[in-house]
Amino acid sequence: MKNRRTFAFLLAVAIVIFSGGRWMENPVHAGLDPVFAQEDWKNEFEDVCSKTQDAMTLGSAELNDLIARCDKLKPLIERLDETQKKVYLKRLGMCRDLYVFVKESKEKK
Amino acid sequence: MKRALFLLSLAFILAAVAHAETGVKKKRALPHEYGRVILNNSSEKAGLAPVVFDHWLHRAKYTCRLCHVDVGFAMKAGTTGIKASDNFNGYYCGACHNGKTIADGNTVFKACAKTPGNEEKNRCQRCHSLGRNVKPQYDFQAYTGKFPKERFGNGIDWEKAERDKLIQPSNYLEGVSFKRQPLTAQKDFALNPKLEGMPDIIFSHKKHTVWNGCELCHPEIFVGVKKGATRYTMIDLFDGKYCGACHITVAFPMLDCQRCHSKQVQ
Repeated sequence: MKNRRTFAFLLAVAIVIFSGGRWMENPVHAGLDPVFAQEDWKNEFEDVCSKTQDAMTLGSAELNDLIARCDKLKPLIERLDETQKKVYLKRLGMCRDLYVFVKESKEKK
Repeated sequence: MKRALFLLSLAFILAAVAHAETGVKKKRALPHEYGRVILNNSSEKAGLAPVVFDHWLHRAKYTCRLCHVDVGFAMKAGTTGIKASDNFNGYYCGACHNGKTIADGNTVFKACAKTPGNEEKNRCQRCHSLGRNVKPQYDFQAYTGKFPKERFGNGIDWEKAERDKLIQPSNYLEGVSFKRQPLTAQKDFALNPKLEGMPDIIFSHKKHTVWNGCELCHPEIFVGVKKGATRYTMIDLFDGKYCGACHITVAFPMLDCQRCHSKQVQ
């Protein structure tokens, strides 16, 4: 019994350490955060918005996927500091709006 | 009586001429002034002169897309909301003006300081220079002396200058830009003007995307998806909409009609 309690306690500590204590900082969002670490959002942002040059060659499914990924990134960028939020929200908006524009132009052809 | 009437008429004419000189008629910008932007959201509040930004030097070195997409400057003056802290932290002007970036073999000076001392104040005046007698580092005439000339705007044919490799605007900034595939250019197309007898406008996507990419124009400036769905009028253009977003401010001005209305009338 004592061993089980000890094991459970150690397991709980391990979970806290490996989760980086994020559940303590923001218990509401801890289990619902997308799987993006501190700078992963930048890699995702680059991956999504580097395709604007190819937008006219992409199909509707790909454009929809890119738009969805932009929408997923937005709340992450909104949590950054004031300057970064201002810069990256604008850039994200431009690339998302372009994908929407291209998608609509293909649909209306 | 006749003399009084004559003097009154003369006074009226002189007053009219004086008013015409200082009235609402806009003075055409000098070549080095064309594309100048004055930024004063918070400069005067902070005790500094408004910022004078001359497009001609920056457009010779960088594409429009780099600054207006990657760095994030808005297309309309005063709407970006730049603060000194943004520049100091390496954003906006500070993306290049960081004391580290090299351009033309020179280190680009750092924009803004946290607590400007006397030495920094001299540096502040390099940009916060409206109304101050500040000698710019680059002289317009000396820099553009060998560039091909045109009639209006800066008086420089920037497109030909690039074709002749006199300028090579960079489209990439380390740490800011993404590595992109080369753009697949869209075809040129003709736009029919309303005025009969006026030559058609030949719009070149290729020429525009070299400097702008796609997202600079679409959809912020050109919203219409279907060709012919949006009706462009010269009044709208001269009001700064559509083509006028660039072609009354930085790119060759619309006074040069033949640059766009270039298809020969049959």
